[in-house]
Amino acid sequence: MAYDEKLIKELEGKAKILRRDAIEMIKAGGFGWVGGSFSQADIVTALYFHRMKHDPQNPEWEDRDRLIVSKAHCCETVYAALGEAGYFPKEEFSSYGKFGATLQAHTERIVPGVEYSGGSLGQGLSFALGEALAARISAPKDKSGRPLPRFRVFCILGDGECDEGQVWEAAMAAAHYKVDNLTAFVDHNEFQSTGEISVRMTLEPLPEKWRAFGWDVTEIDGHNFTEILSSLERADKILDKPHAIIAHTVKCKGVPSFEHKNLHFCKLTDDMYAEAMKALK
Amino acid sequence: MKRNYVREPLGEMKTMYEAYNEAMVELAKKNSNIVLIYGDFARGSVAELFQKDYPDRIYDFGIAEANVVTAAAGLAGGGKIPFTHAHAIFTVGRAYNQIRQNVAFDRLNVKIVLCATAGVLVPFMGGSHQTIEDIAALRVIPNLVLVSPADPVETKKITRAVAEYVGPVAIRLSSSPVPTIYTEEYPFELGKAVILLDGGDATIIATGIMLVDSLEAADILAKQGINVRLLDMHTIKPIDEKAIISAAKETGAIVTVEDGSIIGGLGGAVAEVVVENYSVPVKRIGIRDRFGQSGTIDELKKEYGLTAQDIAKAVKEVIEKKKSSR
Repeated sequence: MAYDEKLIKELEGKAKILRRDAIEMIKAGGFGWVGGSFSQADIVTALYFHRMKHDPQNPEWEDRDRLIVSKAHCCETVYAALGEAGYFPKEEFSSYGKFGATLQAHTERIVPGVEYSGGSLGQGLSFALGEALAARISAPKDKSGRPLPRFRVFCILGDGECDEGQVWEAAMAAAHYKVDNLTAFVDHNEFQSTGEISVRMTLEPLPEKWRAFGWDVTEIDGHNFTEILSSLERADKILDKPHAIIAHTVKCKGVPSFEHKNLHFCKLTDDMYAEAMKALK
Repeated sequence: MKRNYVREPLGEMKTMYEAYNEAMVELAKKNSNIVLIYGDFARGSVAELFQKDYPDRIYDFGIAEANVVTAAAGLAGGGKIPFTHAHAIFTVGRAYNQIRQNVAFDRLNVKIVLCATAGVLVPFMGGSHQTIEDIAALRVIPNLVLVSPADPVETKKITRAVAEYVGPVAIRLSSSPVPTIYTEEYPFELGKAVILLDGGDATIIATGIMLVDSLEAADILAKQGINVRLLDMHTIKPIDEKAIISAAKETGAIVTVEDGSIIGGLGGAVAEVVVENYSVPVKRIGIRDRFGQSGTIDELKKEYGLTAQDIAKAVKEVIEKKKSSR
């Protein structure tokens, strides 16, 4: 599937803004989840600035598409996206993680545009499932009697997060109820908090696991917008199954000297800040 | 002494779950946002109605309590009013963080029905299924309302009130049939204890399935010339502090009665209010730091000190303490 080069360039530009704003936020707060925020940044960009039907001026719009960021510690690029989209003024960024801030250290529903208060890993997919079901209840039906959901629900999970058993409870239920308006990205950056996932807890074969649970599965390069957009378009067309998009990503993607390092949760030094801003010019 | 709102004689035996289902049948028709979620739990009459007339408003997620609670939270996020149904012990135990983080944290409009195994008075099933910790574990979670009906009439009134209330609620239902204590006219109000007896010698504060034994204890004591105040504390949280403080001031001695642990349970909750506001002798009837076991309800009551005789004895003890401290 080919997309207009202009669109791809626009999204790449947006993703850079998100990464820069995330770094500024982390600098102001002192700490942050650089690695995971950056590995998911392109997916977050594609969702908020292309695929999702939403209105920053009306965050309570009943038929809005929802994004549930289950790996809620990676909040900086989510906040950056919401600020860039106009959900709240960018001046809020400097309050990130501080006492009294709306922008708490893990995304919470008090932030306009945030659907899910995370922090306890493994639960977001269940929440996304519930939202997706709500979209189907009393929805109009097509000729074959299939519900036409009022909105679509997206979820971003961490790969380490897939250690949690509840992820698989939700996966089982979503397939059982054929919740085809649910699309979950797994941000497969190969790391979790304390190290490589292959060392901590073997996840592979990951795509096969999702397939075995009855999901429609695609694997993509999570930093290639053509692939991200194609996988989303494909998910829209395939019925009767929920969708798992396994996105192969790089932790800290966007700042070459940080990439592949497990900068999970870190203090941002002045040197790191300078390096990052240079790379994201 | 007059027994307020009490049927004379007590009415038919029924399980709270059956009464809950009867209330839900009417509620489901009135409010199209109500959705039922089950964790492989026996459905009841309301499920038949839903399967037939509202099939997209009923879901079973199998033996997966964590998913049951969090998916319910998602449904609430999507504008629905979900009621979850799974064993009390496994909902509280296995979905504790989910109740706390996905429901209570954001005050989502989820109603968590703790079915069948609330409290230790669960026949046959044994210690793994008898919940001693439900009240203690849940009342410490902010934003979560916790209710505990005592009979079928109260169960229906609570169910209606809970459906109307906007915010997270946990409802604990016992498994065994209970007699119908209340007349239909009794004035139910969420958060307000019911005064069944208005004696002045001591107060019994009971909740749930233990109310009927407390009534029996009051009868035993009345025959011995002791007149108690009897409070039905159907709302454990927010607890009716005013009623507790009045009881302390006006009767000077309190016995709490529950079929769960006294550590942090209703006994703990009442003691907290008394100690901070108006200290009087308090004795807590309930499970004393033990797990349950298989048995009939009567055998379990005897073993764990939950009989009417045990309650009456405790009342006399606190009255003695009251006298000797003067």
